[in-house]
Amino acid sequence: MLGVGMGYAAEPLLEDLKSVDPVRHGEAVARSAEFFNCNPNLAGLALGATARAEYEALPGAQIARFRTALCSPLGAMGDELFWAGLVPALVGAALVGVVLGAGWWAIVGFILVYNGIRLWTSYWSLRTGMASGMRVGTAIGASWLPRAIERVGPAAAFAIGAAIPVVAAWYLRPFAFSAGLGAAGVLMAGIALTRWFAPFLTTVRFALAAMIFLLVLRRVGV
Amino acid sequence: MTELTAQVLVSLLIWGTLVGLDLVSVPQAMISRPLVAGTVAGWLMGDVEAGLRIGVIFELFALDVLPVGAVRYPDYGPATIAAVTLAAAAPWELSLGLSVALGLVLAVVGGWSLQIVRRLNARAIQRRAAALAAGESNAIRRLQYGALLRDAARGLILTLLGIVLASTIKAMVHLDRQTAVALTLVAIGTALAAAVNGAVRSSGRSARLKWLLAGAGVGVLLAVLA
Repeated sequence: MLGVGMGYAAEPLLEDLKSVDPVRHGEAVARSAEFFNCNPNLAGLALGATARAEYEALPGAQIARFRTALCSPLGAMGDELFWAGLVPALVGAALVGVVLGAGWWAIVGFILVYNGIRLWTSYWSLRTGMASGMRVGTAIGASWLPRAIERVGPAAAFAIGAAIPVVAAWYLRPFAFSAGLGAAGVLMAGIALTRWFAPFLTTVRFALAAMIFLLVLRRVGV
Repeated sequence: MTELTAQVLVSLLIWGTLVGLDLVSVPQAMISRPLVAGTVAGWLMGDVEAGLRIGVIFELFALDVLPVGAVRYPDYGPATIAAVTLAAAAPWELSLGLSVALGLVLAVVGGWSLQIVRRLNARAIQRRAAALAAGESNAIRRLQYGALLRDAARGLILTLLGIVLASTIKAMVHLDRQTAVALTLVAIGTALAAAVNGAVRSSGRSARLKWLLAGAGVGVLLAVLA
């Protein structure tokens, strides 16, 4: 659906073309809604660049090829920056915050910081795409984006690394030491089995299987 | 307040619809993250503690899979809301396990529902292929709004299904204390396994792994001091 979403977002950008060249406008709208896939936060780069290319009256086939070529790099960079970087970094920090007593504030902070960064990135993407057109690749290379991707990965790893023991202690503190050992046993078994039997045995399947196994054991009186 | 009044039910359904929409459609503002979805659901139910406990545990599960490329992933948003409905007003040590079991099943169903919505969207695009090729703005708009409606309906149905199941389980399933605690411990152990798996997989053998270990060291220290 990202292709249709791009077409929807391109409509106001291509509006001025309607009065100048109505035929070209129809073709441009059709091209803007063709298949497209990338991280939505960086989609503005492709959207702005192709809109500018349409106003520059570049050949349609060239614009379509250019748009297709942008899918993979924008997808990879956006996923690295947001899904593998910013989201786990902020989630890790929010988890630590919640456990250490910040409660609601940790969650509000997560939402505000994430959305502030992503909205600014979307704005920057569209502006940069519109300003650079077919030279958007060079503009991305010279921008803050590659450096941010390099830095956010370690931050995400650190935050998640810190969150896991803190959260574990938060859950296990009210239980006896033997109960903690039991949970640790499930943890070790979960890591080992889901690695050995991947991709069939996902963690969700392992969790459900372990719970059913436990209920059966309790039912038979073990 | 923990009773499921009509007002609370409507609030949860609206929240579940928004959370369902947020995952892939709009606004992708991360309100579909279990930590957010669960805490708000807990607040709506009058039990923020239950919302936080459930939200944090599903957040650990969610860290296992990055929603990148063509990967299929569970939808933890409405599932977390249903789990909070089940866990609210009960001591979390006893209710967490069963709530997580319900939530995981719903998350898997939610993942399947995403595939169904995608197939329906693809069919809608095929039906309007000629109009799209002609660059008709109206066709694009209808497709866009249609897809949003389908996703909103998906979130609403999932949340409603989850709340109905949670209410049924609450009324019919009564576990003894030992079994309930054991289920909770299994839920905690598997959620931690999911988070560790996700963290190690994302780090690979790169410098990220060193940062992960450094973070774990700091986390252990914080856990001891807290």
